[in-house]
Amino acid sequence: MGAQLRIYRRRMRSVKATKKITKAMELISASRIVKAQQKVAASTPYSRELTRAVTAVASYSSVNHPLTTESEKPIRAAVLIITADRGMAGAYSNAAIKEGDQLIELLKGRGLSVNTYLVGRKAVNFYRFRNRKIAASWTGFSDNPTYKDAKAVSDELIKVFIADAQTDENGVDELHIVYTEFVSMITQNPQAKRMLPLEVVESTTTSGLLPMYEFEPNAGEVLNALLPRYIEARVFNAMLQSAASEHAARRRAMKSATDNADELIKSLTRLANAARQAEITQEISEIVGGADALASANAGSE
Amino acid sequence: MSTKTATGRVARVIGPVVDIEFPSDAMPDIYNALTVDINVAGQAKTLTLEVAQHIGDNLVRAISMQPTDGMVRGAVVTDSGASISVPVGDVTKGHVFNTLGESLDVPTSSLKITERWPIHRTAPAFDQLESKTEMFETGIKVIDLLTPYVRGGKIGLFGGAGVGKTVLIQEMIYRVAENFGGVSVFAGVGERTREGNDLFLEMTETGVINKTALVFGQMDEPPGTRLRVALSALTMAEYFRDVQKQDVLLFIDNIFRFTQAGSEVSTLLGRMPSAVGYQPTLADEMGQLQERITSTRGHSITSMQAIYVPADDITDPAPHTTFAHLDATTVLSRPISELGIYPAVDPLDSTSRILDPRYIGEHHFKVANRIKQILQRYKDLQDIIAILGIDELSEEDRILVGRARRIQRFLSQNTFVAKVFTGIDGSFVPLSETIAAFEALADGKYDHVPEQAFFMCGGLEDVERKAKELAKN
Repeated sequence: MGAQLRIYRRRMRSVKATKKITKAMELISASRIVKAQQKVAASTPYSRELTRAVTAVASYSSVNHPLTTESEKPIRAAVLIITADRGMAGAYSNAAIKEGDQLIELLKGRGLSVNTYLVGRKAVNFYRFRNRKIAASWTGFSDNPTYKDAKAVSDELIKVFIADAQTDENGVDELHIVYTEFVSMITQNPQAKRMLPLEVVESTTTSGLLPMYEFEPNAGEVLNALLPRYIEARVFNAMLQSAASEHAARRRAMKSATDNADELIKSLTRLANAARQAEITQEISEIVGGADALASANAGSE
Repeated sequence: MSTKTATGRVARVIGPVVDIEFPSDAMPDIYNALTVDINVAGQAKTLTLEVAQHIGDNLVRAISMQPTDGMVRGAVVTDSGASISVPVGDVTKGHVFNTLGESLDVPTSSLKITERWPIHRTAPAFDQLESKTEMFETGIKVIDLLTPYVRGGKIGLFGGAGVGKTVLIQEMIYRVAENFGGVSVFAGVGERTREGNDLFLEMTETGVINKTALVFGQMDEPPGTRLRVALSALTMAEYFRDVQKQDVLLFIDNIFRFTQAGSEVSTLLGRMPSAVGYQPTLADEMGQLQERITSTRGHSITSMQAIYVPADDITDPAPHTTFAHLDATTVLSRPISELGIYPAVDPLDSTSRILDPRYIGEHHFKVANRIKQILQRYKDLQDIIAILGIDELSEEDRILVGRARRIQRFLSQNTFVAKVFTGIDGSFVPLSETIAAFEALADGKYDHVPEQAFFMCGGLEDVERKAKELAKN
């Protein structure tokens, strides 16, 4: 009896300790998410303008830049998957990894071999545990990425993209990115996007005159200068969105964890109360029974 | 022991406890059977009482073996000069008896009773006890793997109300008694009368009855009967063991009712109630019964006892006192029966004395331990899963949880007795196959098979067949 009560109390203590942690993490995520959201908002105009500029150069010039033309026989693709460094964010990392798996399946279906580049410890652990090959990985900044982090990742990606896939086994023909799009506090969607070669917008819908661009010194040079900036901006934006999504996912996961813990504490409290009450009832009936037995034994002897 | 018969008079009747005055020079011994002739509603009946205490002033306190309706003060009581005795030997096979050794299925007079033994006997001496230990294969995976039974040992099936104790006992009778060379004795102690009847008819159908003696003192009987019926059955079993030199199977359903009956009369006998209202002599009563259920050199009594656990609390004094006497304890638990896993054996609470590499071999021991470790880890993780969800577990733990769930389901098995409920025939899984199957499961060789396929299966080939069926749908 007493043992039962003790077990309930011990479990309640441990659940309460867990609840404290989840509650704290919920609050931290809730406060950080605002900052992360602002960063996404701040980086979006630059990223959008840059994409527009690159698309314009690629679309309205006749230059055949290697970064914009599709290889005729692509043999290898690079996939960058952005996940979290830490868990406690529900299905956030797993959703991105799963999206990445689907993309990889798709690419393999097209006859490409795939090199995976990972951001975030969760993805690294996932791949390591399954003995999958990792081309390169970066960890330690998933919840607060800086432009420097994005640049490190982009440099590597640009390097392998420029390398010739035919001769260099690290060289790739396509660059894909998998990240989690931050839509709102409630909705975050894992996304798979192709970064390079550019999906050139053939402006067939716009009627009238095309804008006249003049490129100094020439279109090729401009693209050469723009493309690294473009990749960096895209990667940075994806990282910021993922970071915001991570905080949002963690806040939600921790909230439901706190609720679950509350629920568990409630039911354990009930059980513990019932056990305590049973013990008390037991003791009372034992004392009363004992006293009765003594009284009747004494009465008999007199 | 006095052999002369004396007569006394009833002085006081309190339910099943009767005080009787005897002449001071002819006091009956403790445990002597006394008889009283009474008239109830025009019918003459003879009641049997058993002396429990001498309370002074020429009074003895006795426990009645039948309802004391119609007994009056002053009624004449005859001391039989001996304790209650039951017929023993071949004559008992194929028949149903009550505590007093009266046949219930045919008139007692039609039996050729050659010998009667008193039900109170001493336990075998130290130097006669069997020292050899050998495993007893049942063909039920969870039992063979995690709580291996001992040939000639005492096996307890613990469980709260309605988790399947009686079904498991009957499954054991089906599995073991039918293919058993020796004699079986079944004691129904304070359980449902209907079950006793079903058992008798079933045994008659299968023919096992010809080497089985049944002794019943079911729930409708007064506590005195329920307190002694196990001893009556045990006496018959002892005769087979000691005189006929046979191996005996003794089934007792349910030993808790024996304790309960003791507690019902204890206070009436004037004893002070002890913890949780049980009799102060709880451990002693249990010890006297259990020490007699034992194997002597070369001749074994293998006993299986169902033990009811009041309010699912295994620390209750009654089941707790029984624990110490058993070689193997199989604990049936409610949370597992709620999952629909039958037999609902709790793999972590159940244990056996011979779960030791010296008796069952290194391999079996290691596999059993690994299975227990996996299940224990799963149990530890349960709170985390409840709070944070399965996504937060590490990769290793997630795989382990999957394996644990498969093992948990694979521990269920289709039983012969439950065929009426499930429509699936029972299965007998040899020990070597059980060990190999669980080792493969712990190694993760079946991680790809859906959990559902492991449910109510015999061996691994059943699992594979089920998995194929599931894949088809």
